[in-house]
Amino acid sequence: MKRERKTDRREFLKVTLGAFMGGALFSSCSLSDLKNPKTMVKSPIKTNILRPPGAVSEEHFAQKCIRCGRCGEVCPYHCIKYFDVKTGGVFSGTPYIDVMEKPCYLCMKCVYVCPTGSLVPCAKEEVRMGVAVINRQICVSWQQDKTGLMCKTCFNVCPFSGVAIKIDHDFRPYIVEEYCTGCGICAYSCIADTYPENNGKKAIVIQPIKWKKIKEIKLEDIKKS
Amino acid sequence: MAKKSFFKRITLWRYLFLTLCFIVVIGNPFTNYYWDINFIQGWFQSIGIGNLWVVSPLEGLESILTAKFFYMPSLVGMVIPVTLAFLMGRVFCSWMCPIEFLSLLTDKILGFIPKWGKDLKYRKDLVRFAKYTLWFALVAELMITMIIGYPMFVWWSPPGLVGRETMFYVFYKHITIEAVIVVVVLLMNLITRRMFCRYFCPLGALLALIGKKRQLVIEYNASKCVGCKICDKRCPMGIKPSVGESQTVYCWNCAECVDACPTSALKFVWRDRGFITLPKGTKGESAV
Repeated sequence: MKRERKTDRREFLKVTLGAFMGGALFSSCSLSDLKNPKTMVKSPIKTNILRPPGAVSEEHFAQKCIRCGRCGEVCPYHCIKYFDVKTGGVFSGTPYIDVMEKPCYLCMKCVYVCPTGSLVPCAKEEVRMGVAVINRQICVSWQQDKTGLMCKTCFNVCPFSGVAIKIDHDFRPYIVEEYCTGCGICAYSCIADTYPENNGKKAIVIQPIKWKKIKEIKLEDIKKS
Repeated sequence: MAKKSFFKRITLWRYLFLTLCFIVVIGNPFTNYYWDINFIQGWFQSIGIGNLWVVSPLEGLESILTAKFFYMPSLVGMVIPVTLAFLMGRVFCSWMCPIEFLSLLTDKILGFIPKWGKDLKYRKDLVRFAKYTLWFALVAELMITMIIGYPMFVWWSPPGLVGRETMFYVFYKHITIEAVIVVVVLLMNLITRRMFCRYFCPLGALLALIGKKRQLVIEYNASKCVGCKICDKRCPMGIKPSVGESQTVYCWNCAECVDACPTSALKFVWRDRGFITLPKGTKGESAV
Protein backbone atom coordinates (compact mmCIF):
# COMPACT_ATOMS: atom_id res chain seq x y z
CA MET A 1 0.00 0.00 0.00
CA LYS A 2 2.67 2.44 1.07
CA ARG A 3 4.72 1.87 -2.04
CA GLU A 4 1.82 2.60 -4.30
CA ARG A 5 1.07 5.78 -2.50
CA LYS A 6 4.68 6.87 -2.79
CA THR A 7 4.90 6.37 -6.50
CA ASP A 8 1.59 8.09 -6.87
CA ARG A 9 2.82 11.14 -5.14
CA ARG A 10 6.04 11.15 -7.10
CA GLU A 11 4.22 10.92 -10.34
CA PHE A 12 1.82 13.60 -9.29
CA LEU A 13 4.73 15.87 -8.42
CA LYS A 14 6.39 15.12 -11.73
CA VAL A 15 3.27 15.89 -13.67
CA THR A 16 2.52 19.11 -11.81
CA LEU A 17 6.12 20.28 -12.03
CA GLY A 18 6.25 19.45 -15.69
CA ALA A 19 2.97 21.16 -16.33
CA PHE A 20 4.08 24.22 -14.39
CA MET A 21 7.39 24.48 -16.20
CA GLY A 22 5.78 23.87 -19.52
CA GLY A 23 3.09 26.38 -18.79
CA ALA A 24 5.57 28.96 -17.65
CA LEU A 25 7.94 28.62 -20.56
CA PHE A 26 6.26 27.28 -23.62
CA SER A 27 2.51 27.46 -23.46
CA SER A 28 2.38 31.12 -24.32
CA CYS A 29 3.96 30.41 -27.68
CA SER A 30 1.60 29.24 -30.36
CA LEU A 31 2.10 25.96 -32.16
CA SER A 32 4.37 25.88 -35.15
CA ASP A 33 7.05 23.78 -36.76
CA LEU A 34 9.62 26.41 -36.04
CA LYS A 35 11.28 25.79 -32.73
CA ASN A 36 14.70 26.08 -31.24
CA PRO A 37 16.02 22.51 -30.96
CA LYS A 38 17.95 23.25 -27.77
CA THR A 39 15.48 25.16 -25.64
CA MET A 40 12.32 23.91 -27.39
CA VAL A 41 10.94 27.44 -27.50
CA LYS A 42 8.47 27.56 -30.31
CA SER A 43 8.33 30.47 -32.66
CA PRO A 44 5.00 32.24 -33.17
CA ILE A 45 5.80 32.62 -36.87
CA LYS A 46 3.35 30.59 -38.94
CA THR A 47 1.26 30.76 -42.08
CA ASN A 48 0.53 34.39 -43.01
CA ILE A 49 2.35 35.62 -39.87
CA LEU A 50 5.76 36.57 -41.16
CA ARG A 51 8.88 38.50 -40.24
CA PRO A 52 9.48 41.87 -41.93
CA PRO A 53 11.60 41.96 -45.08
CA GLY A 54 15.31 41.31 -44.83
CA ALA A 55 14.92 39.28 -41.63
CA VAL A 56 17.60 36.78 -40.73
CA SER A 57 16.44 33.18 -40.39
CA GLU A 58 13.91 32.60 -37.65
CA GLU A 59 16.24 30.65 -35.34
CA HIS A 60 18.41 33.74 -34.92
CA PHE A 61 15.85 36.49 -35.27
CA ALA A 62 14.59 36.76 -31.70
CA GLN A 63 18.14 36.47 -30.38
CA LYS A 64 19.41 39.39 -32.39
CA CYS A 65 16.34 41.62 -32.15
CA ILE A 66 16.41 44.06 -29.22
CA ARG A 67 12.74 45.03 -29.57
CA CYS A 68 13.41 48.70 -30.15
CA GLY A 69 10.37 49.09 -32.39
CA ARG A 70 12.07 51.29 -34.92
CA CYS A 71 11.00 49.15 -37.88
CA GLY A 72 7.35 49.58 -36.92
CA GLU A 73 7.70 53.29 -36.47
CA VAL A 74 9.19 53.96 -39.89
CA CYS A 75 6.79 51.64 -41.72
CA PRO A 76 4.65 54.07 -43.76
CA TYR A 77 1.82 51.54 -44.16
CA HIS A 78 1.83 50.59 -40.45
CA CYS A 79 1.83 46.94 -41.41
CA ILE A 80 4.58 45.87 -38.97
CA LYS A 81 3.12 44.71 -35.67
CA TYR A 82 4.61 43.31 -32.48
CA PHE A 83 4.04 40.20 -30.42
CA ASP A 84 3.26 40.63 -26.75
CA VAL A 85 3.76 38.17 -23.92
CA LYS A 86 0.43 36.47 -24.58
CA THR A 87 0.97 35.84 -28.26
CA GLY A 88 4.72 35.47 -28.36
CA GLY A 89 6.16 34.46 -24.97
CA VAL A 90 9.86 35.26 -25.03
CA PHE A 91 9.34 36.52 -28.57
CA SER A 92 7.43 39.42 -27.06
CA GLY A 93 8.26 42.68 -28.78
CA THR A 94 9.55 41.15 -31.99
CA PRO A 95 8.02 42.47 -35.21
CA TYR A 96 5.75 40.55 -37.55
CA ILE A 97 3.59 41.22 -40.55
CA ASP A 98 0.11 39.74 -40.69
CA VAL A 99 -0.47 39.68 -44.43
CA MET A 100 -4.18 39.10 -43.98
CA GLU A 101 -4.54 42.50 -42.29
CA LYS A 102 -1.95 44.46 -44.20
CA PRO A 103 0.69 42.99 -46.47
CA CYS A 104 4.19 44.34 -46.97
CA TYR A 105 4.51 46.71 -49.91
CA LEU A 106 8.28 46.33 -50.02
CA CYS A 107 9.16 49.99 -49.49
CA MET A 108 12.32 48.71 -47.72
CA LYS A 109 12.40 51.48 -45.12
CA CYS A 110 12.55 49.16 -42.10
CA VAL A 111 15.72 47.35 -43.12
CA TYR A 112 17.76 50.54 -42.97
CA VAL A 113 16.84 51.42 -39.38
CA CYS A 114 17.44 48.04 -37.70
CA PRO A 115 20.34 48.56 -35.26
CA THR A 116 21.12 44.90 -34.60
CA GLY A 117 21.18 43.25 -38.00
CA SER A 118 17.96 41.35 -37.46
CA LEU A 119 16.79 42.99 -40.64
CA VAL A 120 19.64 43.06 -43.09
CA PRO A 121 19.58 45.75 -45.77
CA CYS A 122 18.83 44.18 -49.13
CA ALA A 123 17.22 44.91 -52.46
CA LYS A 124 13.51 44.44 -53.04
CA GLU A 125 14.13 41.38 -55.18
CA GLU A 126 16.18 39.66 -52.47
CA VAL A 127 13.45 39.77 -49.84
CA ARG A 128 12.33 36.29 -48.74
CA MET A 129 9.66 36.73 -46.09
CA GLY A 130 8.03 33.48 -47.09
CA VAL A 131 6.69 31.72 -50.09
CA ALA A 132 3.23 31.92 -51.63
CA VAL A 133 1.35 28.66 -51.96
CA ILE A 134 -1.74 28.30 -54.14
CA ASN A 135 -4.54 26.05 -52.99
CA ARG A 136 -5.72 24.71 -56.33
CA GLN A 137 -8.84 23.19 -54.83
CA ILE A 138 -10.43 26.57 -54.16
CA CYS A 139 -8.61 28.89 -56.57
CA VAL A 140 -11.16 30.50 -58.85
CA SER A 141 -9.00 30.18 -61.95
CA TRP A 142 -7.93 26.63 -61.24
CA GLN A 143 -11.58 25.65 -60.77
CA GLN A 144 -12.75 27.41 -63.93
CA ASP A 145 -15.04 24.51 -64.80
CA LYS A 146 -17.02 25.20 -61.63
CA THR A 147 -16.79 28.95 -61.34
CA GLY A 148 -16.53 29.92 -64.96
CA LEU A 149 -14.11 32.73 -64.08
CA MET A 150 -10.54 33.61 -64.89
CA CYS A 151 -9.58 35.86 -62.00
CA LYS A 152 -5.87 36.75 -62.33
CA THR A 153 -6.05 39.05 -59.27
CA CYS A 154 -2.88 37.64 -57.71
CA PHE A 155 -1.08 37.98 -61.02
CA ASN A 156 -2.12 41.61 -61.36
CA VAL A 157 -1.20 42.75 -57.84
CA CYS A 158 2.14 40.94 -57.55
CA PRO A 159 5.02 43.46 -57.51
CA PHE A 160 6.97 40.98 -59.62
CA SER A 161 4.11 39.74 -61.75
CA GLY A 162 5.25 37.62 -64.63
CA VAL A 163 8.35 36.66 -62.63
CA ALA A 164 7.14 35.44 -59.25
CA ILE A 165 3.60 34.62 -60.39
CA LYS A 166 3.13 33.37 -63.88
CA ILE A 167 0.03 32.38 -65.79
CA ASP A 168 -0.22 29.28 -67.91
CA HIS A 169 -2.07 28.89 -71.21
CA ASP A 170 -5.37 28.29 -69.39
CA PHE A 171 -5.00 31.54 -67.36
CA ARG A 172 -4.24 29.57 -64.21
CA PRO A 173 -1.68 31.21 -61.89
CA TYR A 174 1.37 29.39 -60.55
CA ILE A 175 4.19 30.51 -58.26
CA VAL A 176 7.85 30.55 -59.19
CA GLU A 177 9.26 29.90 -55.69
CA GLU A 178 12.70 31.08 -56.67
CA TYR A 179 11.51 34.65 -57.18
CA CYS A 180 8.61 34.90 -54.71
CA THR A 181 9.39 37.54 -52.08
CA GLY A 182 6.54 36.49 -49.78
CA CYS A 183 5.25 40.04 -49.47
CA GLY A 184 1.69 38.73 -49.23
CA ILE A 185 -0.09 41.23 -51.46
CA CYS A 186 -1.47 38.31 -53.48
CA ALA A 187 -2.79 36.56 -50.37
CA TYR A 188 -4.29 39.81 -49.13
CA SER A 189 -6.19 40.51 -52.34
CA CYS A 190 -7.26 36.96 -53.22
CA ILE A 191 -11.02 36.86 -53.82
CA ALA A 192 -11.62 33.18 -53.04
CA ASP A 193 -12.86 33.95 -49.52
CA THR A 194 -15.88 35.77 -50.93
CA TYR A 195 -17.30 32.41 -52.01
CA PRO A 196 -19.40 31.07 -49.12
CA GLU A 197 -18.36 27.45 -49.69
CA ASN A 198 -14.73 28.34 -48.92
CA ASN A 199 -15.50 29.44 -45.34
CA GLY A 200 -13.39 32.57 -45.60
CA LYS A 201 -10.35 30.66 -46.81
CA LYS A 202 -8.02 32.31 -49.28
CA ALA A 203 -6.78 30.33 -52.25
CA ILE A 204 -3.26 31.67 -51.77
CA VAL A 205 -1.34 31.81 -48.49
CA ILE A 206 2.21 32.70 -47.50
CA GLN A 207 4.20 30.00 -45.76
CA PRO A 208 7.27 31.01 -43.77
CA ILE A 209 10.59 29.57 -44.84
CA LYS A 210 12.17 27.35 -42.23
CA TRP A 211 15.83 27.73 -42.94
CA LYS A 212 16.45 30.48 -45.32
CA LYS A 213 18.59 29.84 -48.31
CA ILE A 214 18.84 32.97 -50.35
CA LYS A 215 19.86 31.68 -53.71
CA GLU A 216 21.90 33.68 -56.09
CA ILE A 217 19.18 35.73 -57.62
CA LYS A 218 19.78 36.93 -61.08
CA LEU A 219 18.66 40.53 -60.87
CA GLU A 220 19.13 40.94 -64.59
CA ASP A 221 16.61 38.21 -65.27
CA ILE A 222 14.00 40.02 -63.22
CA LYS A 223 14.68 43.36 -64.82
CA LYS A 224 14.46 41.90 -68.31
CA SER A 225 11.05 40.40 -67.88
CA MET B 1 23.60 79.56 5.00
CA ALA B 2 21.21 80.76 2.33
CA LYS B 3 19.56 78.33 -0.03
CA LYS B 4 20.84 78.18 -3.57
CA SER B 5 19.13 80.53 -5.98
CA PHE B 6 16.55 78.95 -8.27
CA PHE B 7 18.53 78.94 -11.51
CA LYS B 8 21.76 77.78 -9.92
CA ARG B 9 20.21 74.53 -8.76
CA ILE B 10 21.57 71.59 -10.72
CA THR B 11 18.43 69.58 -10.03
CA LEU B 12 16.42 72.15 -11.97
CA TRP B 13 18.44 71.31 -15.07
CA ARG B 14 18.03 67.64 -14.29
CA TYR B 15 14.25 67.98 -14.15
CA LEU B 16 14.24 69.90 -17.42
CA PHE B 17 16.45 67.33 -19.11
CA LEU B 18 14.35 64.44 -17.79
CA THR B 19 11.21 66.12 -19.09
CA LEU B 20 12.82 66.73 -22.47
CA CYS B 21 13.89 63.08 -22.77
CA PHE B 22 10.44 61.92 -21.69
CA ILE B 23 8.79 64.14 -24.29
CA VAL B 24 11.09 62.75 -26.97
CA VAL B 25 10.22 59.16 -26.04
CA ILE B 26 6.50 59.80 -25.70
CA GLY B 27 6.30 62.14 -28.66
CA ASN B 28 8.10 60.22 -31.35
CA PRO B 29 5.36 57.60 -31.93
CA PHE B 30 2.97 60.51 -32.56
CA THR B 31 5.27 62.23 -35.04
CA ASN B 32 5.94 58.93 -36.78
CA TYR B 33 2.32 57.89 -36.93
CA TYR B 34 0.43 61.08 -37.64
CA TRP B 35 2.91 63.14 -39.63
CA ASP B 36 5.24 60.46 -41.01
CA ILE B 37 8.27 62.30 -39.70
CA ASN B 38 10.90 59.62 -39.24
CA PHE B 39 13.63 61.90 -37.92
CA ILE B 40 13.55 60.25 -34.50
CA GLN B 41 12.58 56.61 -34.12
CA GLY B 42 12.63 54.17 -31.25
CA TRP B 43 13.14 54.69 -27.55
CA PHE B 44 15.89 53.99 -25.08
CA GLN B 45 16.54 50.44 -26.23
CA SER B 46 17.72 51.95 -29.44
CA ILE B 47 17.02 55.46 -30.57
CA GLY B 48 17.77 56.85 -33.97
CA ILE B 49 18.08 60.61 -34.34
CA GLY B 50 18.75 61.33 -37.98
CA ASN B 51 21.74 59.17 -38.79
CA LEU B 52 22.86 58.90 -35.17
CA TRP B 53 22.21 55.46 -33.69
CA VAL B 54 22.28 54.78 -30.00
CA VAL B 55 21.93 51.24 -28.67
CA SER B 56 21.46 50.51 -25.01
CA PRO B 57 24.52 48.61 -23.68
CA LEU B 58 22.72 45.81 -21.84
CA GLU B 59 20.32 45.07 -24.67
CA GLY B 60 23.18 45.11 -27.15
CA LEU B 61 25.24 42.86 -24.88
CA GLU B 62 22.37 40.38 -24.52
CA SER B 63 21.89 40.34 -28.24
CA ILE B 64 25.59 39.56 -28.71
CA LEU B 65 25.57 36.90 -25.97
CA THR B 66 22.57 35.02 -27.31
CA ALA B 67 23.15 35.37 -31.03
CA LYS B 68 26.95 35.00 -30.72
CA PHE B 69 27.27 37.48 -33.49
CA PHE B 70 28.82 40.94 -33.72
CA TYR B 71 27.04 43.47 -35.84
CA MET B 72 29.05 46.62 -36.35
CA PRO B 73 26.21 49.22 -36.36
CA SER B 74 25.05 47.79 -33.03
CA LEU B 75 28.55 48.01 -31.54
CA VAL B 76 28.98 51.55 -32.86
CA GLY B 77 25.63 52.48 -31.37
CA MET B 78 26.81 51.26 -27.96
CA VAL B 79 29.87 53.53 -28.00
CA ILE B 80 28.06 56.70 -26.88
CA PRO B 81 26.21 55.26 -23.84
CA VAL B 82 29.27 53.28 -22.73
CA THR B 83 31.50 56.35 -22.98
CA LEU B 84 28.92 58.39 -21.09
CA ALA B 85 28.75 55.75 -18.36
CA PHE B 86 32.53 55.44 -18.27
CA LEU B 87 32.98 59.17 -17.72
CA MET B 88 29.91 60.05 -15.66
CA GLY B 89 28.53 56.84 -14.16
CA ARG B 90 24.81 56.19 -14.01
CA VAL B 91 23.75 59.54 -15.44
CA PHE B 92 21.43 57.77 -17.85
CA CYS B 93 19.40 56.56 -14.88
CA SER B 94 19.14 59.90 -13.15
CA TRP B 95 19.09 62.32 -16.08
CA MET B 96 17.30 60.46 -18.89
CA CYS B 97 15.40 57.36 -17.80
CA PRO B 98 11.60 57.71 -18.20
CA ILE B 99 11.06 55.58 -15.11
CA GLU B 100 13.04 58.13 -13.09
CA PHE B 101 10.86 60.85 -14.62
CA LEU B 102 7.70 59.06 -13.54
CA SER B 103 9.10 58.31 -10.07
CA LEU B 104 10.07 61.93 -9.68
CA LEU B 105 6.64 63.00 -10.84
CA THR B 106 4.95 60.79 -8.23
CA ASP B 107 7.31 62.19 -5.59
CA LYS B 108 6.45 65.76 -6.60
CA ILE B 109 2.73 65.00 -6.59
CA LEU B 110 3.02 63.39 -3.17
CA GLY B 111 4.82 66.53 -2.03
CA PHE B 112 1.74 68.64 -2.78
CA ILE B 113 -0.37 66.78 -0.22
CA PRO B 114 -0.93 69.22 2.66
CA LYS B 115 0.35 68.29 6.12
CA TRP B 116 2.24 65.09 5.24
CA GLY B 117 3.58 66.30 1.90
CA LYS B 118 7.19 66.71 2.92
CA ASP B 119 7.28 63.48 4.88
CA LEU B 120 5.90 61.57 1.92
CA LYS B 121 8.26 63.23 -0.54
CA TYR B 122 11.36 62.30 1.42
CA ARG B 123 9.86 59.21 2.99
CA LYS B 124 11.80 56.66 4.95
CA ASP B 125 12.70 53.36 3.34
CA LEU B 126 10.49 50.59 4.65
CA VAL B 127 12.43 47.70 3.14
CA ARG B 128 16.14 47.70 2.61
CA PHE B 129 18.35 45.13 0.98
CA ALA B 130 22.09 44.96 0.77
CA LYS B 131 23.35 47.34 -1.88
CA TYR B 132 25.18 44.60 -3.75
CA THR B 133 21.84 43.00 -4.66
CA LEU B 134 22.28 45.11 -7.79
CA TRP B 135 25.14 42.92 -9.02
CA PHE B 136 23.14 39.75 -8.41
CA ALA B 137 20.36 41.23 -10.51
CA LEU B 138 22.76 41.78 -13.39
CA VAL B 139 24.29 38.32 -13.13
CA ALA B 140 20.89 36.62 -12.78
CA GLU B 141 19.55 38.53 -15.75
CA LEU B 142 22.47 37.54 -17.96
CA MET B 143 22.42 33.91 -16.79
CA ILE B 144 18.69 33.50 -17.43
CA THR B 145 19.11 35.14 -20.80
CA MET B 146 21.86 32.75 -21.79
CA ILE B 147 20.07 29.66 -20.48
CA ILE B 148 16.82 30.42 -22.27
CA GLY B 149 18.74 31.55 -25.30
CA TYR B 150 16.66 34.63 -25.95
CA PRO B 151 17.36 38.11 -24.60
CA MET B 152 15.01 38.89 -21.71
CA PHE B 153 15.70 42.47 -20.64
CA VAL B 154 14.89 43.68 -24.13
CA TRP B 155 11.20 43.07 -23.55
CA TRP B 156 10.76 43.59 -19.84
CA SER B 157 13.00 46.62 -19.31
CA PRO B 158 10.73 49.22 -17.65
CA PRO B 159 12.22 52.28 -19.43
CA GLY B 160 11.84 50.49 -22.75
CA LEU B 161 8.28 49.51 -21.92
CA VAL B 162 7.28 53.13 -21.36
CA GLY B 163 8.19 53.84 -24.97
CA ARG B 164 6.78 50.57 -26.28
CA GLU B 165 3.41 50.94 -24.59
CA THR B 166 3.09 54.48 -25.92
CA MET B 167 3.94 53.22 -29.36
CA PHE B 168 1.43 50.38 -29.03
CA TYR B 169 -1.24 52.78 -27.94
CA VAL B 170 -0.59 55.20 -30.79
CA PHE B 171 -0.10 52.61 -33.52
CA TYR B 172 -2.42 49.77 -32.57
CA LYS B 173 -4.79 51.48 -30.12
CA HIS B 174 -4.26 48.97 -27.34
CA ILE B 175 -1.86 48.40 -24.49
CA THR B 176 -0.15 45.08 -23.83
CA ILE B 177 -0.05 43.22 -20.54
CA GLU B 178 3.62 44.15 -20.02
CA ALA B 179 2.50 47.60 -18.89
CA VAL B 180 1.92 45.94 -15.51
CA ILE B 181 5.71 45.84 -15.06
CA VAL B 182 5.91 49.64 -15.23
CA VAL B 183 3.07 49.98 -12.74
CA VAL B 184 4.69 47.48 -10.36
CA VAL B 185 8.02 49.30 -10.57
CA LEU B 186 6.30 52.59 -9.74
CA LEU B 187 4.38 50.99 -6.86
CA MET B 188 7.62 49.58 -5.47
CA ASN B 189 8.71 53.20 -5.12
CA LEU B 190 6.11 53.64 -2.41
CA ILE B 191 7.77 50.95 -0.27
CA THR B 192 11.29 52.21 -0.75
CA ARG B 193 12.30 55.15 -2.88
CA ARG B 194 13.64 53.94 -6.25
CA MET B 195 13.52 50.36 -4.99
CA PHE B 196 13.78 48.87 -8.47
CA CYS B 197 16.56 51.23 -9.57
CA ARG B 198 18.54 50.60 -6.41
CA TYR B 199 18.43 46.84 -6.16
CA PHE B 200 17.01 45.16 -9.24
CA CYS B 201 17.77 47.11 -12.40
CA PRO B 202 20.28 45.12 -14.49
CA LEU B 203 20.85 48.04 -16.85
CA GLY B 204 21.64 50.30 -13.91
CA ALA B 205 24.02 47.66 -12.60
CA LEU B 206 25.84 47.47 -15.92
CA LEU B 207 26.12 51.26 -16.17
CA ALA B 208 27.34 51.44 -12.57
CA LEU B 209 29.91 48.76 -13.31
CA ILE B 210 31.16 50.62 -16.37
CA GLY B 211 31.26 53.85 -14.38
CA LYS B 212 33.16 52.44 -11.43
CA LYS B 213 36.12 54.73 -12.11
CA ARG B 214 34.06 57.60 -13.43
CA GLN B 215 35.39 61.14 -13.71
CA LEU B 216 32.32 62.96 -12.51
CA VAL B 217 31.76 62.42 -8.80
CA ILE B 218 30.16 64.28 -5.93
CA GLU B 219 32.96 65.19 -3.58
CA TYR B 220 32.43 65.48 0.13
CA ASN B 221 34.28 68.20 1.95
CA ALA B 222 34.44 67.25 5.61
CA SER B 223 35.76 70.65 6.75
CA LYS B 224 32.63 72.42 5.48
CA CYS B 225 30.13 69.83 6.73
CA VAL B 226 28.09 70.79 9.77
CA GLY B 227 26.59 67.33 10.21
CA CYS B 228 22.97 68.21 9.49
CA LYS B 229 22.45 64.95 7.51
CA ILE B 230 19.95 66.56 5.14
CA CYS B 231 21.79 64.93 2.23
CA ASP B 232 21.21 61.43 3.65
CA LYS B 233 17.52 62.16 3.87
CA ARG B 234 17.28 63.58 0.36
CA CYS B 235 19.25 60.89 -1.44
CA PRO B 236 16.82 58.79 -3.49
CA MET B 237 19.30 55.94 -3.70
CA GLY B 238 19.53 55.56 0.06
CA ILE B 239 23.25 56.12 0.34
CA LYS B 240 24.92 58.47 2.78
CA PRO B 241 26.80 61.34 1.13
CA SER B 242 27.61 62.59 4.63
CA VAL B 243 30.14 59.82 5.08
CA GLY B 244 31.54 60.05 1.57
CA GLU B 245 29.43 57.29 0.03
CA SER B 246 28.67 59.54 -2.92
CA GLN B 247 31.94 58.45 -4.51
CA THR B 248 30.99 54.77 -4.56
CA VAL B 249 29.48 52.96 -7.55
CA TYR B 250 26.00 53.18 -6.06
CA CYS B 251 25.74 56.95 -6.52
CA TRP B 252 23.99 57.99 -9.72
CA ASN B 253 24.98 61.68 -9.82
CA CYS B 254 21.47 63.06 -9.50
CA ALA B 255 22.67 66.15 -7.58
CA GLU B 256 19.82 66.05 -5.04
CA CYS B 257 22.33 66.16 -2.18
CA VAL B 258 24.42 68.87 -3.85
CA ASP B 259 21.44 71.19 -3.92
CA ALA B 260 20.20 70.24 -0.49
CA CYS B 261 23.51 70.87 1.24
CA PRO B 262 23.24 74.20 3.12
CA THR B 263 27.00 74.68 3.41
CA SER B 264 27.96 73.42 -0.05
CA ALA B 265 30.12 70.73 1.43
CA LEU B 266 29.04 68.49 -1.43
CA LYS B 267 29.76 69.42 -5.01
CA PHE B 268 30.42 67.92 -8.41
CA VAL B 269 34.05 67.37 -9.22
CA TRP B 270 35.69 66.19 -12.41
CA ARG B 271 38.32 63.79 -11.22
CA ASP B 272 41.72 64.25 -12.79
CA ARG B 273 43.15 60.90 -13.76
CA GLY B 274 45.24 62.10 -16.64
CA PHE B 275 42.53 61.03 -19.05
CA ILE B 276 41.18 64.51 -19.49
CA THR B 277 43.58 66.99 -17.95
CA LEU B 278 42.56 70.39 -16.72
CA PRO B 279 44.77 73.48 -16.40
CA LYS B 280 46.85 73.29 -13.23
CA GLY B 281 45.23 76.18 -11.41
CA THR B 282 41.78 74.61 -11.51
CA LYS B 283 42.82 71.11 -10.60
CA GLY B 284 40.19 69.33 -8.58
CA GLU B 285 38.08 72.41 -8.13
CA SER B 286 36.18 72.73 -11.36
CA ALA B 287 32.59 72.22 -10.38
CA VAL B 288 30.38 71.27 -13.27
